[in-house]
Amino acid sequence: MRTVLRVFGECCLTAGGIVLLFVAYLLWGTGLTTSAHQHAFATQLQRQWGTHRDANPVTTRLHLVTGQPFAFIRIPRFGRTWRFAIVQGTSLAQLALGPGHVPGTALPGQVGNFAVAAHRVTAGNPFYNLNELRPGDRVTIITAAATYTYQVTHTELVLPGDIAVLDPVPGHPRQHPHEAMITLITCDPPWTGTHRIIVFGSLDAQAPRPGGKN
Amino acid sequence: MYQWLWHRLPGGTTTKAACAAILAIAMVALLWFIVFPWITPQVPLDHVMPGG
Repeated sequence: MRTVLRVFGECCLTAGGIVLLFVAYLLWGTGLTTSAHQHAFATQLQRQWGTHRDANPVTTRLHLVTGQPFAFIRIPRFGRTWRFAIVQGTSLAQLALGPGHVPGTALPGQVGNFAVAAHRVTAGNPFYNLNELRPGDRVTIITAAATYTYQVTHTELVLPGDIAVLDPVPGHPRQHPHEAMITLITCDPPWTGTHRIIVFGSLDAQAPRPGGKN
Repeated sequence: MYQWLWHRLPGGTTTKAACAAILAIAMVALLWFIVFPWITPQVPLDHVMPGG
């Protein structure tokens, strides 16, 4: 009896240790891979954009290739060093690399809805603090062409099935857009799939990208 | 379980401890680099996409 109890206790302790290790892996282990990719993306974009420096920034076309980066996102409220390269696509493979642009939604600065989804936890926890954004907060998107500054307008908590947040005019499937908007998406509460937290913003300013700086 | 394992390890206390440490590190590495990366997409965790 004693032996049985001891083995049972040891199994429980071992299982607990494995679960803790798994949590550590999700929080930091997945982030290591992501940060390696992000590092490579930053170098890649800077090199690509460097060769375009003489080109007319307004006509510089964005090349969207699934799993490839095309822009940087900065959110001052998350800190000065917080910066991620946005990749094209939002399946798990792409979200493991960094925040993803929802295919079919508008491009940065374009009239319509530029939708970006990212993990709350895992993959470097990019949108961990998304719930802390308040109206008036700035979200900056830097592309080869320009720097676009969006201002947060409001936040919504929706169910996972609510795809209307991706509409050109969010929540109004049939309306024609007249405004350039941004939609940031992640899960809420953290670690779960029960809800989505959506932060909306509208384009406030745009400036041609100063030569090579991002 | 661990007591049984301890008795099966060869050598004196130092060798046993070294073997135990190597085994533990190997187990952690197996979980961290092979099991966890495989299991992460399978668990319904942190799904961020609307409709997905």
